[in-house]
Amino acid sequence: MDSVPFKQQNELIPILIARKNFYQFLIFLFSEPKNNEYFIEIRDNGKMNELEEMGKGGQLLHHFFLSLTDEKIKAEKEEYSRLFLGPGPIRAPLWASFYLSKDHLLFDESTYQVRKFYHQYGLQYIKENNEPDDHLLLEIEFMVSLIDSCSEETDRFQINRLLADQIYFLTTHLLPWIPAFMKTVIKNTESQLYKGAVLLLHDFLTFDLEVLCEIKEAILE
Amino acid sequence: MKENNPITDFLKNKMLRRTFLKWSGAIGVPVVLGGIGVKQFIEYKEAHTTVSKKDIPEKIISTCSVNNCGGRCVIKAHVKDGVVVRVSTDTQEGDDLSTPPLRACVRGRNYRKMLYHPDRLKYPMKRVGKRGEGKFERITWEEAVDTIAKEVKRIGETYGPESRYDNYASGQCWGLHGGSAAVRKLLSLTGGFLNYRNDYSSGAANVATPYTYGTNNSGSSFDSLLYSKYIILWGQNPSEMIFSTPYREYLMKAKLNGAKIVVIDPRYTDTVVAFADEWIPILPTTDNALMDAMGYVIVTEKLHDQAFLDKYCIGFDEAHMPKGIDKKESVKSYLLGDKDGIAKTPEWAERICHVPADKIREIARNYATMKPAALIQGWGPQRHAFGEQFARGGAHLACLTGNVGKLGCWAAGTGYWNRANIVSPFSYENPVKASIPCFLWTKAVEMGTEMTSADGLEGTDKLKSSIKLIFNMAGNMLINQHADINKTRKLLEDESKVEFIVVSDLFMTPSAKYADILLPGTTFFERWDIGVPWCFGDYVVFGEKTIKPLYECRDEYDVFAEVAGKLGVKDKYLENGSTILDLVKESVKRTKKELDPTFPSFEEFRKKGVHHFTFNEPLIGFKKQIDDIEKNPFETPSGKIELFSKALWDLHQQEDIPAIAKYIPAWEGPSDPLKEKYPLQLIGWHYKRRCHSTYDNQEWLEEAAKQEMWLNPQDAKARGISNGDRVQVFNDRGSLVIDVRVTERIIPGVAAIPQGAWYSPNESGIDQRGSLNVLTSQRPTVLAKANPQQTNLVEVKKV
Ligand code: SF4
Repeated sequence: MDSVPFKQQNELIPILIARKNFYQFLIFLFSEPKNNEYFIEIRDNGKMNELEEMGKGGQLLHHFFLSLTDEKIKAEKEEYSRLFLGPGPIRAPLWASFYLSKDHLLFDESTYQVRKFYHQYGLQYIKENNEPDDHLLLEIEFMVSLIDSCSEETDRFQINRLLADQIYFLTTHLLPWIPAFMKTVIKNTESQLYKGAVLLLHDFLTFDLEVLCEIKEAILE
Repeated sequence: MKENNPITDFLKNKMLRRTFLKWSGAIGVPVVLGGIGVKQFIEYKEAHTTVSKKDIPEKIISTCSVNNCGGRCVIKAHVKDGVVVRVSTDTQEGDDLSTPPLRACVRGRNYRKMLYHPDRLKYPMKRVGKRGEGKFERITWEEAVDTIAKEVKRIGETYGPESRYDNYASGQCWGLHGGSAAVRKLLSLTGGFLNYRNDYSSGAANVATPYTYGTNNSGSSFDSLLYSKYIILWGQNPSEMIFSTPYREYLMKAKLNGAKIVVIDPRYTDTVVAFADEWIPILPTTDNALMDAMGYVIVTEKLHDQAFLDKYCIGFDEAHMPKGIDKKESVKSYLLGDKDGIAKTPEWAERICHVPADKIREIARNYATMKPAALIQGWGPQRHAFGEQFARGGAHLACLTGNVGKLGCWAAGTGYWNRANIVSPFSYENPVKASIPCFLWTKAVEMGTEMTSADGLEGTDKLKSSIKLIFNMAGNMLINQHADINKTRKLLEDESKVEFIVVSDLFMTPSAKYADILLPGTTFFERWDIGVPWCFGDYVVFGEKTIKPLYECRDEYDVFAEVAGKLGVKDKYLENGSTILDLVKESVKRTKKELDPTFPSFEEFRKKGVHHFTFNEPLIGFKKQIDDIEKNPFETPSGKIELFSKALWDLHQQEDIPAIAKYIPAWEGPSDPLKEKYPLQLIGWHYKRRCHSTYDNQEWLEEAAKQEMWLNPQDAKARGISNGDRVQVFNDRGSLVIDVRVTERIIPGVAAIPQGAWYSPNESGIDQRGSLNVLTSQRPTVLAKANPQQTNLVEVKKV
């Protein structure tokens, strides 16, 4: 097929960057909170007051960052272990198959399916068969890699395809378990950080799907 | 670019203005965001050969769980693309009992769920809160290994090797290797450690039976039961605790062959349901009263085997007493009440044990006349204040009736037997000779230096230190399975007593909570091994490593090799093999060479998954001695069966350590005055949904059989309790809450809670899960210093 250049690449790129930034912010929120400085840096340079406008999740996070103290970060570290990391019964595992499989197990069907999807893109989880491939952060990282590929493309057809793939990945892999995950987190924690994070995650992913669909439609016209 | 292009307009003006993107587009990437999260993808090399999952062939790998259930069965893992997708078990038919099918029990149906359970311990951790609080932080393996090496060294240097201890643990104990073996090897190479003796299973019997028979190997192989006419299972429940995977097949066959099977148990167990012609309910701790009365009936009705007693035994009657001992000390005199004036009649026993006198007569007569008869003793009943008497009393009955050493008989007592072994190449030699009874480890923590031979201390007169370092490898004896949890808890929380605790396990057990360093271990799916049954069973099962260890889980063998490296003893540590696979191969090779030339090669064994040892005839306990006692005396001081033990007599403790088996009323038994305050006897049992405490956190098994207490309708009614109520069970040692099942399947006066539930205290320290050991006592049995965990008085009330 002949290459058809995409003329609005310059306008598309800022959107892709904004989306990528947002995904990276989500990666930050759901990573083990090891380093206090990251929190401080984000508070100071992250225009936190704008989070206020982003629904309940944004508001909670805004309040969290407003009243940030070392004590609070320490408590959130403990909360992270309790909710996501262990040791011990973890309240809200970060793996899709926990929410999608009948027995709430890891390494279940959805783990395979997402693995297959990564493989089709020439990617493989560095810990394949050692940790499950359907971890929230890994799925987000995969989204980021699709966004990156999209930024590098100039061909209209390819861009269109990559947008479609993002939509597909969101609807088939990333989004299906997020409502259950969100409920589980909310039920199990009083943490502003993690309640806020999961609400924001849910809202943003839903939003991002809309964005993708609209862009794709616009481009097709 | 034309400004009025609708796409441009849409992208630039509409999209970017939306809240989310407006913000994230404008923040730029703060340096930190870019730095968070390491890149976790690599290039997928086989990108173009991708086959769909449907086409990936399923591989079936035969492996074996090595937990502490008496069974050992074949687990078949169906593996696809490196993931276990399904688990099945032995499919072989059961016609040929010389190669019985080795099928998994209900617990095995959960193995895949255990493997992929989200709560698996995944990374090494160090404690950050107070000990026992459950707060941990993830660390690297390097830090874990370093810390362990430093503490092993520091504590060894500060307090001496006797301060280092590897606690009793059985979560992975029926294979060739495991955490305990690794730890012991390491400690042996760096000065040694305090030993323990005996076990929590048959602790009282293990010490008592040899006084009678000279050995604990008083059992016969299961195939001998096919010739029995009458079988008594005294407090044994193989339907739930399995005991040995093929055992139940033999019992069923024995029944089909016409044997009458009687089960004596406070509970109407699943074993009663499956096998028994008759259930004899009895009060816990009173078994010896029933035994005495059976003896009385047998002797007074002249059903005893006088010739057998004359020829093989010491102490039955006046004519066969050791020199210098009063004739009135004989078994017969005791039964008739010559000395104490109490004839041990069925009526006497009925008042104590609540078995009707006529029923006692009937089973005594049946046992003495329906020969060959097998009296098989479970170990639950000997886990009581005077459990030693239970083991010896059963042996008395077997001897009175001459049911020893002949086909279809069974000599009672501890009942071990074994004729199929493999070589275990992993060995260590502990330079420390001091040892304590395993049940007294908390005493050795609390006041080790004050222990004496009266506490069962051996190998030294005095310990140089109390226990300061504990390794707890795949075990829950650190708190959950040891008696008196609340007492143990205080001891462990005091960080000045035990200074350092290392735990390795699969899940966050109650014991793991007390770790200072917590290590994620591997399941049997993730390592090589050979599984052996609890001594009983003529087979071994191959344990193939099915998948690579998940997360950062590691085999203890490898972990302690690294610790050994830090301490400069790695070469020695690895002398039996540098990997676990080496150990397995070496075992196969040496077994074939040293023990059994028909043993398969490694590859054959791996392919077959199991090896059955075959024998031409049953193993009959003491056949050798009975056939020719001149040539083959018993291993007792006199060379005969010592119904009367001079060695015990010489201890001068006739009241609680009599020279012949006697009924001794237990503290916290049915005649203890404490009954006023705590009127119910409480016992535990091995539950089918758990193997001891293993799998308690597995939800699916809880659905299969939930944690609940059994209580007789009479006792329930007296307390206004209905079926399904939540009740509190308590005594001076502790308190728990549990749902109650009101059922006729338990004798009145007794409550029963399945043992092994994970201690889960609420803020006021009341256990919420039904963890039996908050109510049990650390007071040991008199002779063996063994665990008396079935001896408890409690009260129950509705909450
Ligand atoms: S608990 Fe024992 S018998 Fe049951 S599946 Fe496991 S190893 Fe087999």
